Amino acid sequence: MPFPTGTSRCRALTGAVLALGLTLVTGACGDGDGSGAPGTIKIGLLASLSGTYEAVGTEIRDGFELYLRMHDNKLGGHEVELIVADEGDGAPTAVPAATKLIKQDRIDVLTGIVGGGSVAAVYPLLNEAKIPFVGSNGRPELRDVSRIWTTSYLSDEPGAAIAEYVRDNVRGEVFAIGPDYQGGWDELRGFTETFTKIGGKLANPDGKTLWTPFPQTTNFTPYFAQIKASGAEAVYTFYAGTAAVDFVKQYARSEIRDLPLYAAGFLTEGGVLNAQGEAARNIYSVLNYSPDLDNAENRSFVAAWKENHDGLPTTYAMASYDAAAVLDKAIAAAGENPTPEEINAAIAGLGQINSPRGTWQFSPTTHSPVQKWYLRQVRQDGRTLSNTVVGDLATVGG
Amino acid sequence: MTTRAAPLTDAIDPYLIPALDGVAYGLLLFVAASGLVLCFGVANILNLAHGALYAVGAYTVAVLADASWGSLALALVVGVAAGAGAGGVLAGLLAPVVRRDHLTQALLTFGVALVGSALLVAAFGPDSLPVRIPAALDGTVEVAGHRYPAYRLGFIAVAGLIAVALTLVVARTRVGMLVRATVDDADMVACLGVNPARVRLGVLVAAGALAGVAGVLGAPIIGPAPTTADTVLMLGLVVVVLGGLDSVRNTLLAALAVGEIQTLGVALTPAVAPFLLFTAMAAVLAVRSRGVPAWWRFRPRWGGTT
Repeated sequence: MPFPTGTSRCRALTGAVLALGLTLVTGACGDGDGSGAPGTIKIGLLASLSGTYEAVGTEIRDGFELYLRMHDNKLGGHEVELIVADEGDGAPTAVPAATKLIKQDRIDVLTGIVGGGSVAAVYPLLNEAKIPFVGSNGRPELRDVSRIWTTSYLSDEPGAAIAEYVRDNVRGEVFAIGPDYQGGWDELRGFTETFTKIGGKLANPDGKTLWTPFPQTTNFTPYFAQIKASGAEAVYTFYAGTAAVDFVKQYARSEIRDLPLYAAGFLTEGGVLNAQGEAARNIYSVLNYSPDLDNAENRSFVAAWKENHDGLPTTYAMASYDAAAVLDKAIAAAGENPTPEEINAAIAGLGQINSPRGTWQFSPTTHSPVQKWYLRQVRQDGRTLSNTVVGDLATVGG
Repeated sequence: MTTRAAPLTDAIDPYLIPALDGVAYGLLLFVAASGLVLCFGVANILNLAHGALYAVGAYTVAVLADASWGSLALALVVGVAAGAGAGGVLAGLLAPVVRRDHLTQALLTFGVALVGSALLVAAFGPDSLPVRIPAALDGTVEVAGHRYPAYRLGFIAVAGLIAVALTLVVARTRVGMLVRATVDDADMVACLGVNPARVRLGVLVAAGALAGVAGVLGAPIIGPAPTTADTVLMLGLVVVVLGGLDSVRNTLLAALAVGEIQTLGVALTPAVAPFLLFTAMAAVLAVRSRGVPAWWRFRPRWGGTT
């Protein structure tokens, strides 16, 4: 192997020195950022602030920020530095954003994340860095749940919670229809499995849920014709976002518009309800929250929310508010200068959590809430339509 | 339903509404795609911002219409003007790259589409917007013993008129003659003293106006949302692929075919619904690549008199 000539050796040396110098400088920067003010806890919030799920992501950010504002920007007695990052449409944008939060900002805890796919892709990074994740929306199926805590729900729980009510209140068979992707499969499976197990009958010809291509289905008329032909007495469904708007508007003008419509609450939750307008009236849905719940925690949450927003808070904002509440209690319980591992351990021992949705607690096996579900109906509330609680359903979770 | 209905009627009955709806949906796609075909066929510009122009029309009606007939008419005027204006701006942006290949134009117009969609979301928020239509159109009507949305029935009539008018303009007017001549031989038209830049501007403005019309009238069917531009562009491109570029009639047939595939096809074979549209597209492309059959090739161009 020939030795490098004088000049090139000199260049290599300069390069090495420069590289070393850079490492030292960036290292110093990193140290400076890492320590921060004494006692400050760094929390990363990852949510879709652009793209398809912008509406949900914004609610998640605002819910967390609202809790901080109501508690002097402190969680468990420690000053909080909140670093917000954009999850985008899914895993391809969520992973680099999360990597930056972990490696560069050196967060102690991560919260938020809209999509289940993003969670699945980001979770291994957190596990490796030993950082706990208090998620407030998406939750994929995971084998190892040691560092993940979800304040929202598991996707099959809404359907399971409403199944008994539908069996008792519908005289005849129920048609199940939903979007053809993981979220749709989970939501519909929760309903159909529980419903048929307790003796309900599906009107679907082969006893299987009718799947509509997602997201390309914008016209539901052919599916409504099938439901009509099946002789169903009611319909159970789950859609969210634009598909929910299309489904509800077309349902109200279809030939099955007189069939009662039961749904997972996301069908009429948040901004979609405004777009659906009159077409959404009387739809029954199941969800873990409604802004008209009568408890002290919810009254102060809704009042504080209204100071900064036009509309009412959604379940997305509430779950993120609760993520902050969980961290508040856990950081307080984790000692003087808690490490991420100590915070994670403290979450496991939290017990009952007071929330706008009523009290709930983490299931020790799934690390998601054991909580009560509510039956809501879209009804007139002053000048607008709103999801009004009309009854309690099952307590599900764990 | 009568108990004595013939078995055949019973078998057809569940598919009546999907078939009718396929016509409504197909006509919407025709109005939306005709501007795209016009751009590509006449001005040789692959306009990927066409879906965004539809979205402009859809947002216009969502903002202006308040369930009265007057506001709907106003929205139509403003939507068409906005679409035409946006088409004119596009023509200006495209002028420097007019001698470049399709890829350059596609990149430019796609960039415009991305910026336009982002601006719409910034202005109107990330949620779908409600579209209020006059009460007379908001209900349902009885069609052969089934309920069907009144608006879609009205839309079939209006879109049918637009299709007829477009065919007549292309076939019978001086402007239409120019359009047909440009499709056939743009250089010869230029030699005859017609400024190609003005033809291009005219075509992009007309295509923008068509997208505006489609957006305003189609908003109750494909409504204003952040995904609208992509949905409409995708379906429009499928129509262009299926129908080709050289006649209004082929575009109409392709649009109706896509409409029926999306409704009647889905009702008949729900299990393969996700693949139906693109299977049809692949089949047409495969057949085309082996040469268009002679009986098809001699179809009249852009309306019927050449």
